[in-house]
Amino acid sequence: MSQFMLLLYDDPTNFARMSPEEMQKATEKYMAWSKMPFTRDGKRLAGDAGRVLRGANGRATATDGPYSETKEVLGGYYTIEAANYDEAVKISLGHPHLEFGGTIEVRQVYGS
Amino acid sequence: MTPSEAPEVLLEHLFRRQSGRMVAHFTRLLGPARLDLAEEAVQDAMLRALQTWPYRGVPPNAAAWLFRVAHNVVIDAVRRNQRVGEKTDALVAELSRAGTQTPGDPDIEEQLRDDELSMIFMCCHPEIPRDARVALSLKTVGGFNVREIARAFLVDDAAIAQRLVRAKRQIRDQKLPFEMPCAGETQARLQAVLSVIYFMFNEGYAAHEGDELIRRDLCQEALRLGRLVAASSLGQPMVHALVALMAFQGARSPARVDEAGDLILLEDQDRSRWDHTMIALGFHHFDRTIAGDEVSEYHVQAAIAATHARAAESRLIDWPLILQLYDQLLGITDSPVIALNRSVALSKVHGAEQALAAIEPLRANPKLRDYYLLLALRGHFLLELGRPAEAAGNFKAALECRCSEPERRFLGRKLAQCALNPASENCETY
Repeated sequence: MSQFMLLLYDDPTNFARMSPEEMQKATEKYMAWSKMPFTRDGKRLAGDAGRVLRGANGRATATDGPYSETKEVLGGYYTIEAANYDEAVKISLGHPHLEFGGTIEVRQVYGS
Repeated sequence: MTPSEAPEVLLEHLFRRQSGRMVAHFTRLLGPARLDLAEEAVQDAMLRALQTWPYRGVPPNAAAWLFRVAHNVVIDAVRRNQRVGEKTDALVAELSRAGTQTPGDPDIEEQLRDDELSMIFMCCHPEIPRDARVALSLKTVGGFNVREIARAFLVDDAAIAQRLVRAKRQIRDQKLPFEMPCAGETQARLQAVLSVIYFMFNEGYAAHEGDELIRRDLCQEALRLGRLVAASSLGQPMVHALVALMAFQGARSPARVDEAGDLILLEDQDRSRWDHTMIALGFHHFDRTIAGDEVSEYHVQAAIAATHARAAESRLIDWPLILQLYDQLLGITDSPVIALNRSVALSKVHGAEQALAAIEPLRANPKLRDYYLLLALRGHFLLELGRPAEAAGNFKAALECRCSEPERRFLGRKLAQCALNPASENCETY
């Protein structure tokens, strides 16, 4: 088995028009997925802008993150176990994040 | 907490239940002109829950967590949008103090009940157009969104959104108060509130939306609001009549569908599966409807429901009494849906031919043009009269209308019957 990271990009506007009942149903779906046996780890990133560090000409600069410039922000990640990319993708396709218009980037952990 | 330690499921309808309370709570603190901010904060809190609970688990007191997060959102927004001359500090202090109170505490619960009552009376203020009152109440108190309300009204989303905008503008421009009505205007205000509650109940009972036939939660919410008003200083016979009506109808819920989720007609229902606690609740309130001379729509509706509830078996239903009550009801309201329901009683007492004739004029009514029940009833009466080809045409047309999945399957079964033979089977109402 190999390990894969699922990077979940959020677009909060996807949920703007949902009713409380729909929000709860969505929350329950997300929670159910996070309890699946292939899940190894998962973390939510804080909702602030974050900082971006860049090195150029031998000098590093820190700026506020891309927060409002892009619609989608990296909101959290999961580590899952799967035999190969095909299986990892298959597993990830079942994540409710896609149902609600989010984006998931799937990357294999090198050497795992 | 790791995800695996989190509770398996949330408390049923937690978000819906809490959002109405939270919006009312913040509207009191912020003032009615900032209803939008109250709603946004509640939406934000739910979004925050969606984003964090799957990773961190559900917090021990989820309702308190939602309140606290919404409080923080409101405080941030108030600070950010601070306008010159506003007493922002005092408001922030008040919000911070309120944010430390925990739902569940008896005093807080009482305050939240008062907030909800004030909220529903504000939403139903006569200055707001009638259709907008219903929409706004469903949105703020009932926890519905535009799409769900649109389906309840059988109109498109944009129309509902427009009504909500208008209603909120009225609240701002007319400076409508967030409080219970004063003595002189109680009756008119109460009527408006009751019609909203009844509408809510019907939406739940009719189950227009989606696959889940019995939106029992919606009926329960309407029942809860009805009891809230009944238990307040405004609990008069008309209010008790409405609560009785909802309790009687709601009592049938467990028997309305079978294990496959298919509809069971009222006549075929196993009456032992009716919720007898609810029926008792119904009669408890029905007994309180007799005081006074007034006979409202709710009195008659409750009497019809009580007649059904009294019949231990289908064959013991007093149809002539029910027909008489429907006639009385049509003297109070000229609702085409009531006229449709009356046709069922008419067919029981005077036969399908008269019932069919009675609903013919309703076909011209634009409100019923796309209503599946009119077509389904036509089909049913035609089938009873041994005219299966015409009946099939009506069931097919009914299937073209908006209806829930179980209703769709029911219509499919009726359509299949038309092909078999013109056997007469008892129809309506579940």
